[in-house]
Amino acid sequence: MTSFRDRARREIAREHRSAVLQPIMRKLVVDSRAILARGPADARDRAAAARADAVDRLEELHRRLREQLALRGVGYHRAATAAEAVDIIRRLLGDARRVAKSKSMVAEEIALTPNLRAAGVDVLETDIGEYIVDLEGRGPSHITAPAIHLNRARIRDLLARAGAPLDTDDPVVLSQYIRDVVARYVQDSDAAITGTNTAIASSGRLAIVENEGNVALGVSHPRKHIIVTGLEKVVADEAGALAVLQVLAPSATAQPLTAFTHILGSPPPGQERHVVVVDNGRSRILADPRYRDVLRCIRCGACMNACPVYRAAGGLAYASPYMGPIGAVISPLLWPHGDHADLPFASTLCCACTEVCPVGIPLHRMLLDLRADAVERGAVGGRAERAAWRAWAAAFSLPTGARAAAALARLGLRGGGRLLRPLSARRADPRVLPEPAEPHDPALLAAAGPDRSERPRTAPAEVLPPAPADRFRLRAGELGVTFPSAAPASALELTAAAAVASTGSVLLTGSPVDRRALLAATAVALRLDPATIVEHPAGLEPYLGRDDALILTGPSRTADIEKVIVRGIHGSQEYAVLLEPPVA
Amino acid sequence: MASVALFDPCYLQALRPGDAGDARRVLEALGDTVTLIDGRCCGQPAFNSGFRREARTVGRQLLKAARTHSTIVTTSGSCTAMVRHYLPGLWSPPRDAAAASIASRFVDFASYVARHPGLGRLGLRLPGVVALHESCHSRRELHASAAITAILSHIDGLEVREPAFAEECCGFGGTFAVKQPETSVEIMRAKLEALGATGARVVVSPDYSCLAHLQSGAEGLGVQLEAWTLPELLAKALA
Repeated sequence: MTSFRDRARREIAREHRSAVLQPIMRKLVVDSRAILARGPADARDRAAAARADAVDRLEELHRRLREQLALRGVGYHRAATAAEAVDIIRRLLGDARRVAKSKSMVAEEIALTPNLRAAGVDVLETDIGEYIVDLEGRGPSHITAPAIHLNRARIRDLLARAGAPLDTDDPVVLSQYIRDVVARYVQDSDAAITGTNTAIASSGRLAIVENEGNVALGVSHPRKHIIVTGLEKVVADEAGALAVLQVLAPSATAQPLTAFTHILGSPPPGQERHVVVVDNGRSRILADPRYRDVLRCIRCGACMNACPVYRAAGGLAYASPYMGPIGAVISPLLWPHGDHADLPFASTLCCACTEVCPVGIPLHRMLLDLRADAVERGAVGGRAERAAWRAWAAAFSLPTGARAAAALARLGLRGGGRLLRPLSARRADPRVLPEPAEPHDPALLAAAGPDRSERPRTAPAEVLPPAPADRFRLRAGELGVTFPSAAPASALELTAAAAVASTGSVLLTGSPVDRRALLAATAVALRLDPATIVEHPAGLEPYLGRDDALILTGPSRTADIEKVIVRGIHGSQEYAVLLEPPVA
Repeated sequence: MASVALFDPCYLQALRPGDAGDARRVLEALGDTVTLIDGRCCGQPAFNSGFRREARTVGRQLLKAARTHSTIVTTSGSCTAMVRHYLPGLWSPPRDAAAASIASRFVDFASYVARHPGLGRLGLRLPGVVALHESCHSRRELHASAAITAILSHIDGLEVREPAFAEECCGFGGTFAVKQPETSVEIMRAKLEALGATGARVVVSPDYSCLAHLQSGAEGLGVQLEAWTLPELLAKALA
């Protein structure tokens, strides 16, 4: 058993994770804030309220979800433990031997892929990032960007070792190579496994977000689709789901919405669909008032993006499928007898996580409570540390007066200072505790050099066009969507049910939306009535219909390699919108 | 003319023995009568390490020393946050309410000075440049950013430079700096780099704990930076 410290030391010294992570995460945090600032102003409050409500009524909502899924002919299966979840999925797979799996954190939690492989099932990770970390064999280092710890050269090496004939490390080429492997595999797969971002209790619909189109392939599998999800991922209704979606992509990847937002209704004809709900300790968490709100989590990863410890040590240092602040909280809660008791100590308690959490989880308070629990249980803090704190408490509560206490404090801190000093020449710690009462020279104030700070550029405030159709045109245009006067030749022509001005998204409804046709088309033309353009995703609620729906936000793309955006993964890059009647 | 108590936290007593004197000078210049309370430590080191019983033992002494005072000015943001947000929770009802009533009278030095009616009359002047490191606890738990900016803007001749990515942590985190030294230093590097880039040779902060940490690494990492506390800076600006 290794400690976080051992792993972090190794990751920092050998891999220098911050060189890759720091600039990416800095940009992500700035961009994410900018996207959220587009509004609505109460987006985070609404998301927090929807999630808090779900946590409050978890079992009630699951009863409703189960009924609604049954009406749609979708199976509902509840697994108390990880092992039970794997068993259920194996049984549901039946004689399926080739399984196309998309990214799901709960699947990582229950080690689904290795377990299925051990049972003789051939599983392919169809998400580009997951495909890469599967080759590396160390697991994802981020919940939304699994391969963020690897640069393009390392990724090319991994692919080459697996037999890929690649003579470049261009992220476009690498991403397209994996895309083609995935597309070929999916074609003759026997079943697909996906996760879900939120299950809607009132209608039995399931919302899944993705950028690449691999989930679109999975959910439209002609024979079998299995969804694996955590118990907490339920919301009361469509309004709740939209409230979550409205903050999820902005917080996760600084996108207004992901390229695809699937709202799955009834399965396509011929497809067998099941939902496997994994408890694996969540009911126990729910019963503890100090930690129950962690079940609000929507797995956006904003907390790790903002976390200084995550940026320095990287995700693999946590040795858990859940890393960063959320990982430091839920890993010891999900696996109380595991090796995660020291993770809550992997935080400076700077509260950046709590500040960015879009659903209002007080992560830093939970970290503090978990530290106390770990000490209480004897899981951390050896005899020496316990004795030291007792001595400290005795020294600092003696009735000796402030001056004597100060002397004691000085003594104590000098002791601390020695701890901070390098213990041997081998240790690379540059710190030396400053001497007390250093004289300070005001002349230093005048000795300043020029300011060479490279501060992040804050974009000037945008002046948005007043008409919703023009705002829609602006945002969709930013995503590469064109606005020709007539549909391009050979384009698949579809009629949109509505659109979103602030995100440039187009909503398709119908039972079911034909995702396979959409992905097969060389170009897509979407006819849109400008009167159906709403301002924010939450406004789509009345247009969602009762069955299958799909929100398209620009063509498919990936940023799984160094966060470089590569457009056109599964499906066409050519999206055209025809406003009808045309806007003057 | 207010009568205020001053709490000089343990690590400042140890590392900046002159800090309480500077804070007293500033408060007296504002027209207050100042009593130094016999408080030693807020209990934060033990609390953040998960040793709550020990934190309560120590915190109890501080609340006892503070109980007869209506305002307790504290020269460390992080200690103020500890007292206000966490200390009362170490007792169970009904005793937590009594603790909370005392704890709520603690105020960080920056917030207190910023809203003091006497601030505009102080005539603060100190020509030169400082970099500002606002601590995470001051920023996110006390929401004192505006107060600090307001105070510094009252100092005639002083240019304040915020480093790039000012909201990022310095890597101290109390016992984190000792328990996770490699990660702590890695985070510190980035902060020192950003502070160094401002060109300022003096960095000021409402939390000397961050500064002591940064100062401890500055020389080793080749950054010329001297750490001043906010009371220290203001006291110099009084003269």
